[in-house]
Amino acid sequence: MEQIALTINDRQLSASSGMTILEVAKENSIDIPALCYRQELSPIGACRICVVEVERSETLVGSCHTPIAQGMVIHTHSKKVLQVRKTMVELLLASHCGNCFMCDKANICELRSIATDLEVGLPRFQVKKRYYPVEDASPFIVRDLTKCILCRRCVSACNEIKKEKVFGIAYRGFDSKVVVDFDQPIDKDVCRDCDVCISFCPTGALSKHGEIGEEKKGEPLIISG
Amino acid sequence: MPVRTVLLGQGTCCISAGAKQISAALREEIARLDLAGTVQVKHTGCRGFSQIDPVVIIEPEGLLYSEVKVDDAPEIARSLLPQGQPIERLFYRDPVTDRAIPHHRDITFYNKQQRTVLKNCGYIDPEEIDDYLAVGGYQALRKVLSEMTPEQVIEAVKRSGLRGLGGGGFPAGRKWEACRRVPGDEKYVVCNADEGDPGAFQDRSVLEGDPHSVVEGMIIAGYAVGATKGYVYVRAEYPLAVKRLGIAIAEARERGFLGENVLGNGFGFDIEIFQGAGAFVCGESTALTLSLEGARGMPKPLPRPRTTEVGLWGRPTLLNNVKTFANIRWIINKGAEWFASQGTEKSKGTAIFSLTGKITNCGLIEVPMGITLREIIFDIGGGVPGGRTFKAVQTGGPSGGVLPEGLLGTPIDFDSLTAAGSMMGSGGMVVVDEDTCMVDLARYFLDFTQKESCGQCSLCRLGSVQMLEILNAITEGNGRIEDIDLLIELGESVKIGSICGLGQSAPNPVLSTIRYFREEYESHILEKKCPARVCKGLISYIIVSDKCKACMICLRKCPVEAIKGGKKEVHVIDQDKCTRCGVCLSVCPERFGAVEIIPGREVKIHG
Ligand SMILES: Cc1cc2nc3c(=O)[nH]c(=O)nc-3n(C[C@H](O)[C@H](O)[C@H](O)COP(=O)(O)O)c2cc1C
Ligand code: SF4
Ligand code: SF4
Ligand code: SF4
Ligand code: SF4
Ligand code: FES
Ligand code: FES
Repeated sequence: MEQIALTINDRQLSASSGMTILEVAKENSIDIPALCYRQELSPIGACRICVVEVERSETLVGSCHTPIAQGMVIHTHSKKVLQVRKTMVELLLASHCGNCFMCDKANICELRSIATDLEVGLPRFQVKKRYYPVEDASPFIVRDLTKCILCRRCVSACNEIKKEKVFGIAYRGFDSKVVVDFDQPIDKDVCRDCDVCISFCPTGALSKHGEIGEEKKGEPLIISG
Repeated sequence: MPVRTVLLGQGTCCISAGAKQISAALREEIARLDLAGTVQVKHTGCRGFSQIDPVVIIEPEGLLYSEVKVDDAPEIARSLLPQGQPIERLFYRDPVTDRAIPHHRDITFYNKQQRTVLKNCGYIDPEEIDDYLAVGGYQALRKVLSEMTPEQVIEAVKRSGLRGLGGGGFPAGRKWEACRRVPGDEKYVVCNADEGDPGAFQDRSVLEGDPHSVVEGMIIAGYAVGATKGYVYVRAEYPLAVKRLGIAIAEARERGFLGENVLGNGFGFDIEIFQGAGAFVCGESTALTLSLEGARGMPKPLPRPRTTEVGLWGRPTLLNNVKTFANIRWIINKGAEWFASQGTEKSKGTAIFSLTGKITNCGLIEVPMGITLREIIFDIGGGVPGGRTFKAVQTGGPSGGVLPEGLLGTPIDFDSLTAAGSMMGSGGMVVVDEDTCMVDLARYFLDFTQKESCGQCSLCRLGSVQMLEILNAITEGNGRIEDIDLLIELGESVKIGSICGLGQSAPNPVLSTIRYFREEYESHILEKKCPARVCKGLISYIIVSDKCKACMICLRKCPVEAIKGGKKEVHVIDQDKCTRCGVCLSVCPERFGAVEIIPGREVKIHG
């Protein structure tokens, strides 16, 4: 396997060709946040939270889907990168009307955890909110698209792991939405008890029916900033 | 043999101006006067001067009649009799000098242009292949097939310096070469005619006026890169373009320019039309490919395999714009050196713009690269009408930047426009005058792009909406001074953090108006005034007391009874009640002109 020499955050590194920037970073304990990326799935590249600065590229580069190249000079935590990531998380939080106190996934929510790491506090703006009614007709899955950040992991997981095509994307711009068929609510007939998409969803958008009084999963997350 | 030809534009724009009826009336009159033997009426594509459509041209004299109506048909027909005289009343009048100009070659709108791609538009009948052949059509294809190897064709395109005219300006020759080099016996040539920018109509005009030039360019491209199949991705909203292109393809097939054995040369190539649903983002190369394959048109994140390597159905695919293909025959016929001698060092050939907005001569223009914005706007465009003052020009479609008067010396080419904060883009060019509010303008363009976002990148999807909300707040008088910096920060983030050109350029109108017209944003926020008197929340309607004749017209018409006054009593608007609907201004008799709009919310009574 060809070895590639590259620089990440001023460290000279070497890695096998074909690896992505994110994989090399991880191997070298450099922590880049990711929302749509999951090791088990092929890269989606939609959320852009994993962007890094690559010298001589005008735009930032998605590290989860960009393979390394000979002599690449990468900055994963430059001021520019951090600012863009923060803005992104702020926008995601601001457009999402989930209430973390009430959310079953609050302690394992990846969006919250990234927000904590980036020290994103209250968003500086009040963007339009996404609002959709909770879909809880199915005995296996509760879907609250209000909390969806359109990472498309559920689409890919269902597709690649279960080899089903339950989900798709519809509409444009702010109105984009993960849909089932022609935008049918999830009900008994749609999805069986496989849990795959639920386990991949980084937020509280997909969950199982909880029992009242059930304890939340994970350690409490503290948001600073 | 006809002695005279009457040319009548039949583009979408001409037809909506009544060109079909005029044609029918003219033909009828010509038959009635027994002129059919000596006069031929020919339907052509649009000549681009939308301002004076419909236009009738009489050749060989080169007379141009402007803004022709159906009722003019008998007179035009009579003028074609042997003893007939030109009709002066229908001559075009130069709006600047007010001189009547009989010949089209003397009209400044045309004579400063340099028409290459548009040369045949308005001269030949796009539905008659013989017309195209008569002006040298398919000669380039013959030459290529009989004298040139594919490598020589690519070499010529490279030497010509032609850059893709779909907006990006990528060197066409290099793209062709890359596509040729990819191994594979099944390759595709795709023509991008999505033209999603609502203000642009150049691709439509080429397809409606000279479809064979695109077909010929595509066949040559197919030969050069080794493709056997071509697709034209046209937006479904262009039925006339689709129809004429369909006729052109059928005719070309009939004459052996398309098919399994093109011109008996053993090379096979055919073209199919695909009608796209017409989303703006589907013009982006990877989204277009997905859309052609029947999937949702969403751009793929970089780095993706290049379309030239893995394109349509996973095969090597050459994607170029309509105008890029239409240039090819000229490069082959007149030579790469001829082409390269035009334009600037890095941008060769011509550029096509749809010139619109507050401009005397609006229409479609083709100019040499390197011409300045000033020459386009003031010489070809005739400047701003109605004695108003030029304020800015926006180039490149909805995500282009806005350039102020000080930058009118900017030459038109890919790199200079980008350096100034705008772009060549789709070739839209919108001129605005002092009555246009820059904040409102930025808001208008951003409103378009944010709706067209495919929605995958969080910054493009949410950031542009957030920017729009801030702009809305500013135009409504609820802006905060920090908002200007927030807009810049958000705009820069959206630009560098989005996947495709849509998100990467959508903030341009906002960023460039802040850069060049920041004081206008500040007036909205700090003084609560819209200096251009556009934003409803930041203006007042007043009645100028010494002009008011107390006629009671506005008082009666005001829907909210905000106007106080009576007979012989000067009228006054109660600013608390006024909803700024503008009715009073439009009903106040022109000779009084007593109602005016002033910037800001005038709460005290103005006298
Ligand atoms: C959002 C977006 C919209 C686009 N729309 C068009 C279009 O309508 N027509 C076009 O030719 N190119 C369009 N492009 C550019 C294409 O991606 C591609 O670069 C072009 O078709 C290549 O042809 P060219 O090299 O001849 O310019 C668009 C790009 C983006 C990012
Ligand atoms: S999904 Fe995450 S961010 Fe949203 S409410 Fe639940 S815990 Fe909070
Ligand atoms: S439902 Fe969950 S996994 Fe699916 S797109 Fe939304 S946030 Fe991502
Ligand atoms: S920049 Fe906008 S339009 Fe382009 S891929 Fe991202 S979300 Fe879609
Ligand atoms: S602008 Fe409309 S509401 Fe205001 S005074 Fe005039 S007519 Fe009445
Ligand atoms: S994690 Fe890379 S784009 Fe989402
Ligand atoms: S994994 Fe397909 S619906 Fe849950």
